[in-house]
Amino acid sequence: MAELKVGDRILLLDEDGFLDNAADWDEEVAHVLATTEEVELTQEHWDIINYLREYYAEFGVAPMVRKMLKDTGKKQSEIYTLFPSGPGKGACKIAGLPKPTGCV
Amino acid sequence: MNQKDLRPQELGKPCEQLIQLNDLMPLSFPYDQPGMEPDFPDVKPEWREKYCTSLDGCAGIDTLQRPKTEAEEIEFVQKFLNGLEKIFSDANNGVLQPLKLSFEYCAKCNTCSDACHIYKASGDNELYRPIFRADVLRKIYNKYFTSGGKLYKKFIGGDIDVNWETIARLGELAYRCNLCRRCAQTCPLGLDNSLFAKEIRKIFSQEMGIAPTPLHDKGTILQLKTGSSTGVGKAAFVDMVEFMEEDIEDRIGRKIKIPIDKKGADILLVHNTGEFVAWPENPAAFAILFEEAGVDWTLSSDMIGYDSVNYGIWYDDAQAKKVALQQMQAAKELGVRRIVIGECGHAHKAAGVVADRFLYGEDKVPVESWLPIMWDLVKNKRLRFDPNKNNFPITLHDPCNMVRQMGIVQPQRDILKNITHQFREMTPHGVDNYCCGGGSGFAIMNSFNFDKFRDKLSARVKFEQILRAFSDTIDDSSIPKYICAPCSNCKGTMRGILKYYDATEKFNVQYGGLVELMVNALVSVDKPYLEFLDE
Repeated sequence: MAELKVGDRILLLDEDGFLDNAADWDEEVAHVLATTEEVELTQEHWDIINYLREYYAEFGVAPMVRKMLKDTGKKQSEIYTLFPSGPGKGACKIAGLPKPTGCV
Repeated sequence: MNQKDLRPQELGKPCEQLIQLNDLMPLSFPYDQPGMEPDFPDVKPEWREKYCTSLDGCAGIDTLQRPKTEAEEIEFVQKFLNGLEKIFSDANNGVLQPLKLSFEYCAKCNTCSDACHIYKASGDNELYRPIFRADVLRKIYNKYFTSGGKLYKKFIGGDIDVNWETIARLGELAYRCNLCRRCAQTCPLGLDNSLFAKEIRKIFSQEMGIAPTPLHDKGTILQLKTGSSTGVGKAAFVDMVEFMEEDIEDRIGRKIKIPIDKKGADILLVHNTGEFVAWPENPAAFAILFEEAGVDWTLSSDMIGYDSVNYGIWYDDAQAKKVALQQMQAAKELGVRRIVIGECGHAHKAAGVVADRFLYGEDKVPVESWLPIMWDLVKNKRLRFDPNKNNFPITLHDPCNMVRQMGIVQPQRDILKNITHQFREMTPHGVDNYCCGGGSGFAIMNSFNFDKFRDKLSARVKFEQILRAFSDTIDDSSIPKYICAPCSNCKGTMRGILKYYDATEKFNVQYGGLVELMVNALVSVDKPYLEFLDE
């Protein structure tokens, strides 16, 4: 299993680079995860990340992509500009959400 | 090694990788040009070290790890042999007879090889011949479960070294078959080689506790815990349905109240929950059509009542049964007259065929496919269409479970003829279709490089069929071309190959289900429903 060094901490990542333990996440971790995605976090990124985390805290899963676009007022292409790996493998990963599962 | 000479006993041979994936079946225009297809990625050394990549350089089972001690290796092999003995015992109720027939009566005529899309895509590589894994299994069985000396064993084919590598490779090889059963359909003796792949998967899961994470831990187990393999619980499900109502209003200006938990409804419609998460326009289209036609229907928000998936049917009978029982219970509690399965192929088979053998009498609610019901609504003019609205080439993919396994062939074609003038069949089609390449769990198995195996190999024949179906317009990117794939798994595979081959970007090849096309052609809806038609 891959590891992620954040300050003094060594965190475990799954093979796709998602946090193995969602509880490990904090803002510092987000910054380091962002570097694995070659993304430099701006306020625009944080708006998406905070939205995702709030939804996840309430419902225990990531929101539907369509809902995320509507609630954040972004187009899909804009999400891909911010997070080149896309809403699931990019935005959700940096926001510390678990990897999507099931037939999605 | 010349890959045409690979023999079953070589599965036990110590070597880094038995075959290389090259000399694949060529693709048609425009993918016959150099540089159109990405190369297969190299195996990472850390994968080789820890997992089983020694078959073909791919690894599908992320829980199959190399033993650390000799004792672990012995235990691994012994557990497999225990399981092997068990599948040939009376305990393997329901499967024993066809399994034994297929085991004992195969004449090795190889008619099935030409029917197998993975074998053909591989450029006729021995490893993927449908009878190859059965031959390996025969050798292991003969080695351990027949009497006689070494010379005799060699004579009857018990000449195979059995160690971790042999069994692990066989486990991986069980995940190089989509369980599409096209081989069984063509066998002159009526034997079913896919049974071996399925039974090996069962031994691995049920006896050895080894199954791909996306199918088991993050599939069945997550479903039993949260209600869905997507992890969607009741609150999230209700939130999604509310969002769909808003989305329908935004999209086509129609206010719809989607019924949830309506007691005593005629129809409980159950989707693959992946549809709500990844393709909400599909369950939304069902809602639009059912409401317009005045169907008495409902969704269930009960734990597990909103997710039709049952991955157990691909790898573990016990898990399949657990899920099927709970799904049926959710329907019983609502007091609906019948369960209708939406656009999900394996859910059709799981609820309509497999669970039909698990459950009877009081425990059972009748299960139907959405297709004949939808055709009735079209035929009886409860829905009105303008076929000119779907004015672009459309081809149809036949999901194996609905079509070959269950014989639902005509309703989808009759519907298509009512909603477009531009329908063209793939060749072959109907019950002779080829699997999308994502069947039996491949569509959601993305560990290591397994997604590339799917895109490049198991989905290759399907991609070729698509290229041929659209050969008249493929290189005109101003014309959208639509693959109608009414199954969540098949859609996932389509999304994968269109991205892998960059076919949407370069050639405007689109994909989706059937109900979205239906809504797009509704006379009562003014705006296009399909997003790729947006200016």
